[in-house]
Amino acid sequence: MTTTSPTTPRPRARTNVARRSPAAVWWRAYRHHLRLTRNAALAWIAGLTALSAGVAVTVEDRVGSEAERQLLESMHDVPAFEALQGRMVEIGTMEGFTLARWGMFGILLAVWAMLAAVSLLRRAEERGHVEPLRAGVLTPRGLLAAAIAALWTWLAVLALAIGASHSALGFDPPTAWALGGAAALLGATFAAAGALASQLAATRGSAVALAGTLLGAALAVRVAAPATTTPDWLWWATPFGWMGFLHPSDASQATVLLALAALAAVLALAALALGRRDLHAGLVGGEEASAPRARRVGGQAGLALRVTAAAAGTWAIIVGVVTAAFGLLTHDFIDAMAGMATMVELGREMFGMALDAPEGMVGATFFFVAVLLAAAAAGQAAAIREEEASWRIEHLLARPVGRTRWLVTRLLVSAAALLAIALAGGVVAWAATRLGGASVALGDALLGAVNVVPVAWLTLGVGVAILGLAPRATAAATYGLVVAAFLLDFVGPFLELPDRVLDASPLRHVAAAPAADVDVAAALVMLAIGAAAALVGVAAFARRDLKEA
Amino acid sequence: MVDHPVLDLTDAPAEGPQVPAVRMVELTKRYGTLTALNRFSLAIAPGEIVGLLGPNGAGKTTTLRTLLGLLTPSSGTAEIFGIDAWRDPVAAHRHLAFIPGEFAVWPQLTGRQTLDLLGTVWGGYDRAYRDELIERLSLDPSKRGRSYSKGNRQKVAVIAALMTRAPLLVMDEPSSGLDPLITATFQQLLREAKQRGQSILLSSHILSEVEAVCDRVAVLRQGVCVEQGTLAELRHLHATTVEATYVGTPPPLDDVPGVDDAEVGDGVLRLHVTGSPDPLLKALAQAQVTAIQMREPSLEELFHAYYDDRADGA
Repeated sequence: MTTTSPTTPRPRARTNVARRSPAAVWWRAYRHHLRLTRNAALAWIAGLTALSAGVAVTVEDRVGSEAERQLLESMHDVPAFEALQGRMVEIGTMEGFTLARWGMFGILLAVWAMLAAVSLLRRAEERGHVEPLRAGVLTPRGLLAAAIAALWTWLAVLALAIGASHSALGFDPPTAWALGGAAALLGATFAAAGALASQLAATRGSAVALAGTLLGAALAVRVAAPATTTPDWLWWATPFGWMGFLHPSDASQATVLLALAALAAVLALAALALGRRDLHAGLVGGEEASAPRARRVGGQAGLALRVTAAAAGTWAIIVGVVTAAFGLLTHDFIDAMAGMATMVELGREMFGMALDAPEGMVGATFFFVAVLLAAAAAGQAAAIREEEASWRIEHLLARPVGRTRWLVTRLLVSAAALLAIALAGGVVAWAATRLGGASVALGDALLGAVNVVPVAWLTLGVGVAILGLAPRATAAATYGLVVAAFLLDFVGPFLELPDRVLDASPLRHVAAAPAADVDVAAALVMLAIGAAAALVGVAAFARRDLKEA
Repeated sequence: MVDHPVLDLTDAPAEGPQVPAVRMVELTKRYGTLTALNRFSLAIAPGEIVGLLGPNGAGKTTTLRTLLGLLTPSSGTAEIFGIDAWRDPVAAHRHLAFIPGEFAVWPQLTGRQTLDLLGTVWGGYDRAYRDELIERLSLDPSKRGRSYSKGNRQKVAVIAALMTRAPLLVMDEPSSGLDPLITATFQQLLREAKQRGQSILLSSHILSEVEAVCDRVAVLRQGVCVEQGTLAELRHLHATTVEATYVGTPPPLDDVPGVDDAEVGDGVLRLHVTGSPDPLLKALAQAQVTAIQMREPSLEELFHAYYDDRADGA
């Protein structure tokens, strides 16, 4: 270590280099992160605002008669609906109807905010983007704060967009702004959770798994909330539940906003507290130690299994949590449904689900599993692309491994992993349903699981087609298609879109098995389209240049 | 998995040593309007080491990636031991091993797992030689990819290629990130590979490395091959520096062919001569020369000459 005597002049910066103040440097980093997230953020802001506004403007058409209004109003007496959608208050009104939809929109927003934070922090670190920034005068916490601030800025824009648009549409203005604020703060909370997970976990994969588990747990509590005898306290145990108290009749808007703001601040502060750590280090998932007896990977198929296993495990846990939550509640649901013939009829009409039998609940459960599996399939397509984008693929393709063989191997391993996740979900659904006091045959539960696999394989095939034809768009386009299909199926009917448009969503063609018969024709069509898309993708991949990120 | 017992050059196609290890004919790669590689032709005989030189963006990596079949050639052909690299990359790759300049590892695999994986997908490898290479290059193979430094990642890449004992080694700046001691070991390994009859195509910025191991070099500039030949031939094309001391009248140099930049001072003259030195020697003989020193250009000077030409031409 060297010391400098008081008389020794300190080396001075060259005079033609303008020194920026730390605040100016931080501001530049903040703007950099705004720019990195701009396109995705604007797409989400526009999409969510348009969806929510679309629901609000069509509510008057939906609720034509007083009888319909009363039927809708009685939905919150049925725990099944609230478990699916979140807490419902006065859903015969524009405010109540729109707020109830946010039970689902909130989940999408939370998932995006969380993934965006992990991508901005951990992924950037893994790709080596953080080192040059931190090699300057930026502190690790300064950089972390810049990333969080950028995401929060976009969420503030979302609050403005929702508040202004919904007020203009005739929403009760305080409720419109409360909805905007709460949506933004929910996003801010999960962005902060993603940032915290990025400090705790040493890799992007383990950060996503950690934050995803947190999100899944918060969601599971919300699903369980309507089944409890004293409902309100459990609703208040999860930020997803708080979103259900925004209706003016609850007089809780300020409480909800304060609670969300406090949670977001605590999570962000926790992330900042842990932010001063070594580069590429974390508390979990970063085993640095030597692994002298690590098993052989085997050949290319072994590698495909190995790189797929971690993501498949995470998705299996998420699917397991969802199927367990629904399974445990099945008995209570069908009890509540007994004697509510109109409600059962409504469930059949609106969701195609027989909510008065355990088999119907398994079908309803696997509707959500279908969405999750499709997202997992999009994740697989993105992971396959990442092998190419990171140029690791070069090590294999510069050896006697053909492109077709490489991609087909990855594709088959991913398809098998998706099937395995679904089957695991089937077993968990069966066990949890029995544990909760209802009864469903294992064969029926597995049928419900297998029934949703064609959707996942279709997604994977389309993802591979995009990989072959427009590789750089793989992740965004495949995830985008899954979100679009989900929204089309779940929100489309409320927007009164024409059937031809609604039918574009593959989820609409999934029968509610095991209560209903499997739609074999639809499944075969999906499999055929998926296989054709995969073939196109493999053929295009074999003929094009490899493309870096 | 069957390990390759020893170097097996019989693995090369049966046509025999006449078939060049690498044969590129008018190889061209265009990205839209940008021509990254323009009608590049090169042949490498079995057992020959060829260096590929050029400033950043000259097209070296594009050349290697097209040769490996990772990029589609816009026109022209690239063959490995007579096998078209684009039409049948799998067959072509059975005869080559590749060392990339930047080795992106799988973060979750250890060095040993990575080596085993890459050796397995190549079709087998010499385990004893792998262990020898691990020893000579001082690699700890039990660490996970994510904890390797750049230099250690590069060692994994070098070992993964050499342990296959492929008849052709293709290398893209293979010693980037290696320390001087390991670089010296690496160069020794290349010389040993050459002695065993392996061919090498080496793209490098380290001119001393190219000078130390290469039989021939090709110089790329803006996607065009501007020079190709043995180091002696290249030197021949370029000016030799001559310094002479003399007594009395300076020699008459005005019309001597090949002489440039002559500086005549107080009993000392300095000049550059290109081509045959015979006319210069005859001119010098007319004066009373007391000492003469002739120095061939180093590869670095040659490189500068091409590089500076580019600046002039710009």
